Amino acid sequence: MSAALAAARSSGTPAEPMIDVTGLVKVYGGNGDDAGAGVVRAVDGIDFHVDRGEFFGFLGPNGSGKTTTIKILTTLLRPTGGTVRVGGLDVVRDPREVRKMLGYAGQSIGVDGDLTGRENLRLIGHLYHLPGSVVRDRVEELLEVLQLTEAADRPAGTYSGGMRRRLDLGSGLVHHPPLLFLDEPTTGLDPQTRNAVWEYLRALHRTERMTIFLTTQYMEEADQLCQRLAIMDHGRIVAAGSPPELKAGIGADLITIRLPQDEGFEASRARALALAQGVPDVSGVVEFDQGVTMRAGHGGATLVEVLRRLEADRIRVNEVAVAPPTLDQVFLQHTGREMRVEEVRPTSSGPWARHRRD
Amino acid sequence: MATAESVYRPSTPALSAPAALGSAGGIVTEILWVAYRSLRKLSRSPFLLFFTLMMPIIWLGMFSQTFGTVFDRAASGPGQAPLAYNYIAVLLPGIAVMSAIQSAAQSGFSMVSDIETGFMDKFLVAPISRASVLLGKTLADGVRMAAQTAIVLAIAFLFCVAFGWKIPFATGVAGDAMIVVLTAAFGVAFAGLSNSVALFTKRTETTMLVSFTLTFPLLFLSTAMLPYDLLPGWVQTFSKYNPVSYVATASRTLILTGWNWTEIGQAFLAVAIVAVLLYSLAVFAFRRQTA
Ligand SMILES: Nc1ncnc2c1ncn2[C@@H]1O[C@H](COP(=O)(O)OP(=O)(O)OP(=O)(O)O)[C@@H](O)[C@H]1O
Ligand SMILES: [Mg+2]
Repeated sequence: MSAALAAARSSGTPAEPMIDVTGLVKVYGGNGDDAGAGVVRAVDGIDFHVDRGEFFGFLGPNGSGKTTTIKILTTLLRPTGGTVRVGGLDVVRDPREVRKMLGYAGQSIGVDGDLTGRENLRLIGHLYHLPGSVVRDRVEELLEVLQLTEAADRPAGTYSGGMRRRLDLGSGLVHHPPLLFLDEPTTGLDPQTRNAVWEYLRALHRTERMTIFLTTQYMEEADQLCQRLAIMDHGRIVAAGSPPELKAGIGADLITIRLPQDEGFEASRARALALAQGVPDVSGVVEFDQGVTMRAGHGGATLVEVLRRLEADRIRVNEVAVAPPTLDQVFLQHTGREMRVEEVRPTSSGPWARHRRD
Repeated sequence: MATAESVYRPSTPALSAPAALGSAGGIVTEILWVAYRSLRKLSRSPFLLFFTLMMPIIWLGMFSQTFGTVFDRAASGPGQAPLAYNYIAVLLPGIAVMSAIQSAAQSGFSMVSDIETGFMDKFLVAPISRASVLLGKTLADGVRMAAQTAIVLAIAFLFCVAFGWKIPFATGVAGDAMIVVLTAAFGVAFAGLSNSVALFTKRTETTMLVSFTLTFPLLFLSTAMLPYDLLPGWVQTFSKYNPVSYVATASRTLILTGWNWTEIGQAFLAVAIVAVLLYSLAVFAFRRQTA
């Protein structure tokens, strides 16, 4: 085992982060100068680090530069500018050594549909030069854990989307890397399978102390899994921190009041809006199709006050809710836009395929 | 799926043999695994496999019936002694090299499809050499070309027995084996072109177009279809610079007359030159992709 690898695995040297990125820039098209048509500044000067054993996430909408960043970290793309160190090694100068440390499951699921599940995993094991017996054992273990044993001898082309995701995840784990990169690992999965993948990743992180870097478009996924995350937008990190920290930065709870949908609805909603605006501590009151929502520094206490005033004005209330801030609001606050995610979209094949001139 | 208890905990020590990575022996292992994967894929596509092996047989049938008959008739005109062999004997190495060139022209397709499906990233994040990926793929194609050549020779031999075709097979099985090796080696070398185009353009259409455009000039401006003496003057000149000629001529001599080590040496030299040129290009194209 090389020294770098040993260093990457040891839990010591806490001073050196597992991933250390400074001033990272990636420009597609052109030769680094920004002029000209067709030039895309996909990553626009970002700095971040990921500690050993940390579960870190990149959250951002389509085209924000998540895949580009992850491809640079995994040595699949060369950066235009800045430095990237993974496990203490420079990804441009030492790509080979960096590759030994990492496992990767890309956004476009890279399984070979002609090979069976078992053959897919074994091939990866052999490419990492693991001895035959080790490959056999690990592949069987992985098939078991990923619940693919029954389908193991079927061509992967016959697998369902969820099975293919799991197989792809498995192929990033055969060589048991200390660092795992996952690009939108649950996109296209049904909620049940998504939960199972989450559970698995949590367990992997907890019991193996694996460092995991994940990208996602799902607020909930980032919230549930990541100890720390960076919110990406247009190639920049607009906010970073643990989910509670990020939400605390908003400093407000969300109050939702639903009114009965009767003939007086419009009038009562207008009234409620006006009344709520008069309450101290309330801000950002807006109407929506079922009532009004607003933000408040102290959700509980303020809600009581709002309800008292509605009561006094004889406005009937159907339902109330107070919710702590969500990452949606964090995103909204930092970008001025709502992050919309279409649940179903075709999986893009990543930068490689996008080079194609159509 | 997984619970905390069932989570993947390898029973074996972490990365047991990274020492093999990057060593010469390591690269051979990598090439063999990549090749194994390609052949496995081929074996899972029965149609592809079938047509791969049928193609040269169809060529053999067609050429023997059309050109063969015409040539035989012309050569055995009034006042001429009948030839000791059929024209098909002259054509046999040409058909073999033609099949190899066709397979070579398609070699880049799998490169494109691996890029499109994202499977290529699996190779690229692994600590293996880029050259291993390229060579593994073309080695698998080489196996395919060797099989094609062997089948063509075997069928031709069967036709000698069954229909009285006159093909001398002057050097026997050993000579046939040499033809198989030589043809496949040339095919593998030439596959460097299709892979370069594939890596530069990432499109199957372009890959197909470029390779197929070159296939026929390469064949017909060489000694693959006719012996050197029968070619028109300007084609003779061109054929001297065409590596296909050296492969075809060496193979033809093995079938018609006997061992000629000078020709065989020249043929392998031609193959080596083609390989060095095209593979340098392909490796350059491969490196450029990860920029
Ligand atoms: N090969 C390429 N050539 C040119 N532009 C590219 C290429 N790859 C990505 N881009 C552009 O770079 C930007 C960032 O793309 P990237 O794939 O990194 O985003 P992403 O955050 O992963 O998005 P998604 O959620 O859709 O996967 C986009 O504007 C995209 O169009
Ligand atoms: Mg992406």
